[in-house]
Amino acid sequence: MELRSRKFRTLYKTEVGNAQLRANLSKATLQAVDKRGQSFAEVDFKFLQDEAKKIKQESLSRLNDLLSQFEDSARKNNCRIFYAQTPEKANAYVLDIARRYGARTAVKSKSMVTEEIGLAPFLIRNGIETVETDLGEYIVQLAGETPSHITTPAIHKSRTEISRLFHDKLGTELNSDPAFLTAEARRVLREKFLSADIGISGANFLVAETGDIVIVENEGNARLSTSAVKVHIVVTGIEKVIPKFSDLRIFMRLLGRSSTGQKITSYVSLLRGPSTEDEKDGPEEVHIILLDNGRSGLLGTDHQEVLHCIRCGACLNVCPVYRNIGGHAYGSVYPGPIGSLVTPLYFGEQNAPDLPFASSLCGNCTEVCPVGIDIHHQLLAVRHEIKSAKKGGVERFIFRNYRKAMLRPGRYRLAGKIARGLSKTPLLRYFLKGWTQHRELPRFPSRSFREIYKSAKAK
Amino acid sequence: MIEDDREKILASIRRGLRGTERPSAGRSAKSPLLTEPDADFASRFAHFKAELSALGGEAATAGSETDLADIVTAKKTGAIFVYDDIRTGYGTFTSLLTESREARFGLEFGRGYDKREAASFESAVTGCVACIAETGSAVIKTDMRLPAALATSLFVVAEERQLLGSLDELFTDRFGNFEGSNLLLITGPSRTADIEKELVTGVHGPKEVTVVFVQR
Repeated sequence: MELRSRKFRTLYKTEVGNAQLRANLSKATLQAVDKRGQSFAEVDFKFLQDEAKKIKQESLSRLNDLLSQFEDSARKNNCRIFYAQTPEKANAYVLDIARRYGARTAVKSKSMVTEEIGLAPFLIRNGIETVETDLGEYIVQLAGETPSHITTPAIHKSRTEISRLFHDKLGTELNSDPAFLTAEARRVLREKFLSADIGISGANFLVAETGDIVIVENEGNARLSTSAVKVHIVVTGIEKVIPKFSDLRIFMRLLGRSSTGQKITSYVSLLRGPSTEDEKDGPEEVHIILLDNGRSGLLGTDHQEVLHCIRCGACLNVCPVYRNIGGHAYGSVYPGPIGSLVTPLYFGEQNAPDLPFASSLCGNCTEVCPVGIDIHHQLLAVRHEIKSAKKGGVERFIFRNYRKAMLRPGRYRLAGKIARGLSKTPLLRYFLKGWTQHRELPRFPSRSFREIYKSAKAK
Repeated sequence: MIEDDREKILASIRRGLRGTERPSAGRSAKSPLLTEPDADFASRFAHFKAELSALGGEAATAGSETDLADIVTAKKTGAIFVYDDIRTGYGTFTSLLTESREARFGLEFGRGYDKREAASFESAVTGCVACIAETGSAVIKTDMRLPAALATSLFVVAEERQLLGSLDELFTDRFGNFEGSNLLLITGPSRTADIEKELVTGVHGPKEVTVVFVQR
């Protein structure tokens, strides 16, 4: 997928000026936050969060063993495993399978990893009709856009916009009732499910002990994408593996609540592989692609915990920055607070130098994170790394001299005089133009406290 | 065939983790639920029903297979697909449905059947592995995935002993060792809120989900 996160400073300005977008986002995110809060009433969130964090820590610290264990379990279940270091390799493997099967149509359920590697556009470019089947993803695909939220991809679009889109692309009547629009999508997509050759999905969890591929969803499209096809291809990250089947009791209670305020999602599919001899449908082949793409580079670093993320989207909904600029502004598949970490950390800090700064550091994200990622401190740490790698700059100059001034009273007095002098000229405003663009520069008093004190005492 | 990157990735993981701590998560056996799961069937059923109803599904009890047939016949629409576990386990119910000539059975379909045929059933009746009071979920394991996935109206038939109190009881070895390629938790109708966060049910899967506990 094309990474546009370097253009953040341009992108956010366009988005923040879009009043309709802000209204859509505000309505949707506030509702999600409200529902999330209610859904945790009957369970001990802190306990779940601590347990989930412990399990994820263990999973990562034993990642090699767990991946090998998962491979063994999955092979026993007749799955085929493929490791891909890069998006190119993962995409090529999927295309290879599709061609081997002579596939013309692929149905795809929602998966962030496939967005990350740009799988659907890649397959389409190579002549395989690849249809997004999650309603939000389908809307976004029809519009030729990219998702703007991890769990609610079309959060930026209003019902009127969607109605017009369906009218233009599918020839449906202009009716903006969500029930009508959903029924139209059901009708069109059902035909795709019935004619598809291959199905592509992600995975929310991979269970090392049993080889389960766990997929959570609400619409039933993932269930169909993985069942109504001859070949099921799972594309997921290496960090998704967890040790035990019983660990699901923690994650199943956290994921639905954190993402949509549901006690559990409508469907949880535990898939073990191709259909067995006793079964009359289901895929004949199941391929699991385990993608690295920058993930293993975080192991053993201070940022390892970023790999805990289960992509619930809770941090997006509570983020005051996300609420105002939406997902597209980030220029990355992964938006919001977690995206501002994942993007520079997976794909290189030079590719997203501004994202870690797109945060007020209010800590809402850390508070709601179901797997206990200290998101706002992580953001600070990445900021520090980005700034440390950079030489020069006005900010660095100011703070270096500020430090010097604060250490010696004489220098402090001198600096005060200079600053007060400068504040009367447009010079200071010129040097700080980036800072003052959206802020008022405080007015400097004409005399320092010491000067005022001295003259008052003399009287 | 494309060669994969297994060794490279595992080596990179090893490099990253070299010298780091390997905590083995001691797991707490405690349940995250703030209240104890219900002890008997009556209270579990009340809980289950409340959860499922809140999601737009329905839960009922049937005193006999004739009652079960009444519930299904009253609610179903169109042609009905009956899974084999129901055919073998509920003889009276099956013959009542056969008489009405609207039902077809799993045994009539072979491996690799035409999936368009599965899409022609508006209703499906299946058994289950368990139900969960905490969430209003039914856990199903079927030998034909499509009829239950494509139906507009889904009926899950359960026995009282199958109703579990909480998810803690489901995610144990007892269910973890299931045979077959898939296990599915269904919690209410298929739903979406992708358009302006407004809830719409019956997106790709069933719009109606009814779970009936039959007293034996």
